[in-house]
Amino acid sequence: MTAITASPLVEVRHYRTRSRLRRAGRGLFLAVASLLFLGYVLAPIVWLVSSSFQSEHEIISKPPHWIPQAPTAQNFAAIFAARDSSVTYETRKARDPASGGFIPSTASNLLPAMLNSFIVACAVVVLNLLVGVPAAYAMAKIHFRGRQASIYAILATRVIPDIALVVPFFLFIRNLGLLDNIWSLIITYLAVTVPFSVFVLVSYFESVPDELDKAARVDGCSRLQTLTRVYLPLARPSLVAVILFAFLASWNEFLLALMFTQTPASQTLPIVVASFTSDFTISFSFINAAGVLAIIPPVILALVFERYIVSGLTAGAVKG
Amino acid sequence: MTTTVAAAAKPRLGGVPGYDERSAFLLVAPLAVVLMAVAVFPIVYSFYISLFTIKLTRPGRTPFVGLDNYITVLSDPQFWYAVERTAFFAVLCVSAIAVLALLMALLLNEEFPGRRVLSALLLVPWAIPYVANALMWKWIYDSNYGALNGLLYQLDFINSYMVWLGDSDKTLALIANAFVWKEVPLATILLLVGLKTIPADLHAAAKVDGANAVSRFFHVTLPSLKSSFGLVVVYETMMAIRHFDLFFILTEGGPGDASHVVAWRIYVETFRNLSFGTGAAMAYLLALATLALAYVIIRALARKI
Repeated sequence: MTAITASPLVEVRHYRTRSRLRRAGRGLFLAVASLLFLGYVLAPIVWLVSSSFQSEHEIISKPPHWIPQAPTAQNFAAIFAARDSSVTYETRKARDPASGGFIPSTASNLLPAMLNSFIVACAVVVLNLLVGVPAAYAMAKIHFRGRQASIYAILATRVIPDIALVVPFFLFIRNLGLLDNIWSLIITYLAVTVPFSVFVLVSYFESVPDELDKAARVDGCSRLQTLTRVYLPLARPSLVAVILFAFLASWNEFLLALMFTQTPASQTLPIVVASFTSDFTISFSFINAAGVLAIIPPVILALVFERYIVSGLTAGAVKG
Repeated sequence: MTTTVAAAAKPRLGGVPGYDERSAFLLVAPLAVVLMAVAVFPIVYSFYISLFTIKLTRPGRTPFVGLDNYITVLSDPQFWYAVERTAFFAVLCVSAIAVLALLMALLLNEEFPGRRVLSALLLVPWAIPYVANALMWKWIYDSNYGALNGLLYQLDFINSYMVWLGDSDKTLALIANAFVWKEVPLATILLLVGLKTIPADLHAAAKVDGANAVSRFFHVTLPSLKSSFGLVVVYETMMAIRHFDLFFILTEGGPGDASHVVAWRIYVETFRNLSFGTGAAMAYLLALATLALAYVIIRALARKI
């Protein structure tokens, strides 16, 4: 009898130490894994930011200074000052000790390009909502002939590679006389982004019960009123996701902008930043500062709206 | 006419629930117009262009050549070389993405303090522009002052600074690394969704049956992830074979022709050689390859709808 009661007690104590050990081991393992994860994801970005605060003189030290020893904001100052003075071979040599005089000749285009990027991205967002929301509502809530087919068609347009559209787009835009005009970017970005927007919105509208739709209709709402008064307030998370995706895609797009823009009148941020590398003297300190400016808006948006982005991505990718 | 319109506009509570073609048409019309103008028309027009010899260097002379451009492209060893480079690049990228994303998703699927912070920071590479990504890696790989050289040197792996992107044996792998870093977050999120849908009972049952963590991983977790994995692999393959930005900024197809992938070749043929016909033919072949892959993805998705 005693032997029988004693053995579970020993067992329990044994089990407790084992589980405590296991928990400590699990904690250690997760901590190491998290550090590796963080290192992989953040190290390149941290290095970019660190080198953007180093002078051209410091940046070429061997081995590199992982943390700037004499941090300077001169690279950023050079970007904001680039507009005031024209860059010639002589001024490049004489000016700006921080970058060793290697300011790229296209430096003054950077801030106008940022503005262009911002205008294009906002216009694409607005058009995405105007075109995408009604269509998504119809596809999710109204039965009509060809409904399934239209969903498949949108899926199909989502997967056409942009490089395959470049030649016809170019001729199309040239014939419209829109080369080197930001409208060429707004139109083509709309085509590239709207399928995904519709996709995300359809999957959201489908999750809203049909009864809501019927109730609003019985109460005398028109289709448009049902959409604006019942669905839009409910759909706020997916609208935020759509706005973010359209904005980020436009802000980041490179290939089409490379084809359609030629002058600062329409060049977007990625184009101008990329042009710094084709300059005959590459100034990495300056390029890194420009790179930091280019990633600040998307990184802030991603971190602030993380929940919306993740739910939008999973809705858009996993469910029809 | 007016009566039918009025009748159709009324909610039809009797017939098929929610059947309302006129409203649907009006609501879908703007989208249809946009997609027709900027997606369907270009892809048809692209095929039309590919049937002509269009060289911007010789304006005014655009003879119809039928499928000659396709024959020219397909019998060009350079094109097949580009296909081989693209395939190699895609295989590198997709296998690395699959492994890394699985590891990261498994980590984020655990409950521990700081998990929320990790999953938020994971979005950073996803959000930044490819151009910034490319410049960042160009700086890291720099053969004179780059961080990769500096790090390996400090850790005593190398005795002197090495050439990275300029070494034709390493170029594609290094570009693939930059691509993988940017694409892993999305793949991780997709796999994480798959992991979350695995019922906890399944693991509990396997545990009762005496399965250890490793065999539970191979017999419960991996099989349940099959469809998410398929989605990731197909999607990332599509992204890898069309990728252009990194090649433009990091290597311009070089050194020599070591990173001369199909997307880069299309760009060179079209906008440097100004031969729109053959450029369009190549672009069309790439689109067909992508659509074939897309067919697989759509069928996989359709099963879920």
